[in-house]
Amino acid sequence: MVWQKENKFSYEIFIKKYKTVFVIFVLLFVCLSMRLFYLQIIKGDRYRKISDQQRMHNTYERAPRGIIYSEDNTALVENKFIFVILFYPFKQGQVPSDKNIKEMNKILKKDIRSMIDMSYKYGKVVKLADNLSLEEMFKIREKKFNLEGISVLRESRRVYCYPEVTSHIAGYIGEIGANEIEELLKHGYKMGDYIGRGGIEQTYDKYLRGKDGGWQVEMNAMGRQIKEFKYIQSEIGASVYSTINLKLQKVAYEALRNSSTGRGAVVVLDAKTGAVKTLVSCPGFDANKAGSKDFNRYLEDKKLSLFNRALQALYPPGSVFKIITFAAAAEVMGTNPEETVQCNGNFKLGDRNYSCWCKQGHGKVNLFSAMVQSCNVYFYRLGLKLGVKNLKKYAKKFHLGQKMGIDLPNEKKGFVPNPEWKKSKLKTRWLHGDTVILSIGQGALWVTPLQMACMISAVANKGVCRKPYIVDWVASSNGGKIYSHKLDFEEQIILSDRTWDLLHKALLEVVESGTGIRSKIAGIKIAGKTGTAQNPQGDNHAWFVSYAPADNPKIAIAVIIENGGGGGYNAVPVGRKIYEAYFNMKSEESLKQ
Amino acid sequence: MIQSKNFYRRLVSGIDSWLIFSVVVLAFISFAAIYSVGSNCGMSFKYLLIQLLAFIMGFFWLVLIANFNYQHYKYLDKFIYILSFMLLTSVLIFGSTRRGTKGWFDFGFISFQPVEIAKIMFILSLASFLDKKSKEIDKISFLVSVFAMLVLHVALIMMQPDFSSTLSYFPVTLVLLFIIGVKPFYLFCIVIFASVTVGVPLLETFLNMQLKFSQNKMFLTHFIISLKTGWVGVYAVGMILFLIIVGWYFLWKLKIKIAITYPYVLCISILLGCLSSLVVGKTLKDYQRKRLVVFLNPKADLRGSGYNIIQSKITIGSGKFIGKGLKKGSQTQLGFLPERHTDFIFSVIAEEGGWVVAQITLFFYFFFVWRAFVIARDARDRYGSLVATGLAIMFMFYIVINISMVMGMMPAAGVPLPLLSYGGSSVFSSLCAIGILCSVSMRKHTHCSD
Repeated sequence: MVWQKENKFSYEIFIKKYKTVFVIFVLLFVCLSMRLFYLQIIKGDRYRKISDQQRMHNTYERAPRGIIYSEDNTALVENKFIFVILFYPFKQGQVPSDKNIKEMNKILKKDIRSMIDMSYKYGKVVKLADNLSLEEMFKIREKKFNLEGISVLRESRRVYCYPEVTSHIAGYIGEIGANEIEELLKHGYKMGDYIGRGGIEQTYDKYLRGKDGGWQVEMNAMGRQIKEFKYIQSEIGASVYSTINLKLQKVAYEALRNSSTGRGAVVVLDAKTGAVKTLVSCPGFDANKAGSKDFNRYLEDKKLSLFNRALQALYPPGSVFKIITFAAAAEVMGTNPEETVQCNGNFKLGDRNYSCWCKQGHGKVNLFSAMVQSCNVYFYRLGLKLGVKNLKKYAKKFHLGQKMGIDLPNEKKGFVPNPEWKKSKLKTRWLHGDTVILSIGQGALWVTPLQMACMISAVANKGVCRKPYIVDWVASSNGGKIYSHKLDFEEQIILSDRTWDLLHKALLEVVESGTGIRSKIAGIKIAGKTGTAQNPQGDNHAWFVSYAPADNPKIAIAVIIENGGGGGYNAVPVGRKIYEAYFNMKSEESLKQ
Repeated sequence: MIQSKNFYRRLVSGIDSWLIFSVVVLAFISFAAIYSVGSNCGMSFKYLLIQLLAFIMGFFWLVLIANFNYQHYKYLDKFIYILSFMLLTSVLIFGSTRRGTKGWFDFGFISFQPVEIAKIMFILSLASFLDKKSKEIDKISFLVSVFAMLVLHVALIMMQPDFSSTLSYFPVTLVLLFIIGVKPFYLFCIVIFASVTVGVPLLETFLNMQLKFSQNKMFLTHFIISLKTGWVGVYAVGMILFLIIVGWYFLWKLKIKIAITYPYVLCISILLGCLSSLVVGKTLKDYQRKRLVVFLNPKADLRGSGYNIIQSKITIGSGKFIGKGLKKGSQTQLGFLPERHTDFIFSVIAEEGGWVVAQITLFFYFFFVWRAFVIARDARDRYGSLVATGLAIMFMFYIVINISMVMGMMPAAGVPLPLLSYGGSSVFSSLCAIGILCSVSMRKHTHCSD
């Protein structure tokens, strides 16, 4: 082959170069094919997902949260339904007529035109009015505005039926903050969701929150809703059945509020199971106000209303700790209860003087009378003999310095001091004086009211410890049990029967004739111990821990009144009111009247 | 009756039927895609009708041109070149402006983009020039006059300003020069010259833009400021020239003998490039420079071109193997994909038809360009071969640039996909070019000497 009017040579040069160009051409198309294959076949799934993501949007309808019940199935927290008006522009693609907007304005007493215009412009669902009255709702319903994309819907609001009384048990709800959203996204929460804060609302949030419903809609590149795919009905959260005895709870809250300072905590446990019958921290707060400006008042409150004193506050146990010193002494040293010691009102150790609360002294005291009168001097001696090691060992046995594992958030574990800690933290040696004050529950010993309640409950049960719990079972919206508490955490504090008998006898005597006499109720045997914990920051804290009936314990109580003064005068009457309520008795005062 | 039958038969006899077949297949793919895109804008048939009309008119002209002997163009080369020059000048004077480019003749009911035709005219006249001067290909004057032809066209188009339309001129010219037998080294020097000419002002603009973003990078800032104030740039050029000479000297010592003319010519082209870059730098307006930078580097403008490329990749990828179905592509129908009926039409096909249809389209393009190359090989004379090669390179370049752009392998260039993209001028001129190819193929050599 050759070109017309050319020699053979020039065509051959052409063909040579032509082949090079042709090869490049083929290679280019092979490259394109490979890229196409890579994008569509290898990466196809990923790109399909992205393309679906950018066109599908969800408009949520918040699901009502589950209901929280007390022991006798009274709702502590429930939902109320309010009516809201929504406008969705994608349904009809037209705005309501001027006349109808005017009428709506008249009913709602506000101008909704600009909201409708904005909604129409951006193709977004907008809430025209919130919290309608029934009257407004019916007026709007009967006008049949819904033909123009306006509809009346129900929305749920959280209602706390017993504000303040159950505030720390129930907790409250709040919107998820920007700082926690990242972590929560993994657990299926989304921006703008409400989450439980404190109390059962927090620990059982995963059961309480329902399944949000809403519309799934397709959006175009301009963000306008094109069509509605499906509407998903929201599903109410599971109901939580707590062990709270509402009557006791109310009595305890009232008693605390009317106590000397109005601040303190009460924990009432079922002595057999560890179920929390009452858990009060005073003052409480009104969770219905959560999210409003009023609620911020609590944050600045000097009385720390939001603070759950029953689990989060740390107090020195004071004389209540003598129960442990007593048990340790009886167990380790086999102390003879008849052996007497002279109490002169103070105790000299080296150049320091440790006084008894009774300035004149108790005279001759033995193990029993020292417990009943709460004689410090006797217990100083006992503590010195036992040594810090034994005190610490027995404190740990009764779960001091450890979390009890209750199903409420933010529980504190408290602290039991020891020589190693003092050396590493305070850079000083452990002195005998430290052991002396530890034996009456002072020093760097910190406990929560819940721990004290658990301790006395263990004493009542001859050492059987149960994990305290507040939620008995959870029922899903269709009624099935999806959680129920199991009594599996069982730990026995092993002490000899002699020790238990001595302790029980002593505790019974405390209420019969000792410092706890103000809670003595005819016909019911109550065993307990008072405490007046010295507090370097202010007035003494008043303690009372007890259980009843002494021969077959049903409930165990721990009461503390913050800066309340003497335990016998201030804390004991609170305990008494609870017993009266529990055993259905009228107080002596009302009998007198 | 018989006579007229014969007339029609003669009209299409010897036409390359495979080429026409592939064009028809591509036309139908184009109709389907444009129908699908148009349906969601509420003008389902308007786009389709215009495209259909352009194809019908184009085919009519295709047959006409195919029956006109291409060898006449060879003698009309000066006239053709002057005509194209006049077209491009008059559009600058009388044309109407669309999207910032003054490149359209608007006749009310129909508008026309003369650049599309001017490209083909340029190929015709360039091939004629190369054919006539094929004995003088080693002379400098030959190269200079070829580039004078090129620069005149390119400068006129740049004045519109329409950068993407000038793109095809360079590969076509270079490949034609290569295929006629110009030494690759000279072509390399030309490329160096051109890239220095355009590169220096571009680099300056780019660095200026960077300067605004990175005020804390002390080194870079100092470097750019010193570059701008003068001598550092001169030092850099001197350094490069020195390195070339030294490198050549070492190769000479290593007994790798390269004629002294090579480094000499290379150095001269760099120096000339620097000089002309100063001229270009002075004449380019600020907004033109910015447009150029964005054109080359879409990431500099993330909201515009960068967004387009990302969406295009999503669109293509989401089609997967069998696609989402005609009119069901969510990316296309919901407007996530920009320019979907013009530059990004291949993405529409890939989304709605999936890998199968996209690969078939690609194959027909391959087949189409391959036929054009075959026509170039079998042409009757050198002029025919050059014209056919030029047209084949033009088509190939557009196809490769457009498809690699929508698949995210290239910066967003804004070139249409021949035959598929919506646009009367583009379709019409493509079909005219195919008419010329047919004309060459119908008159392929009938004799073998020897």
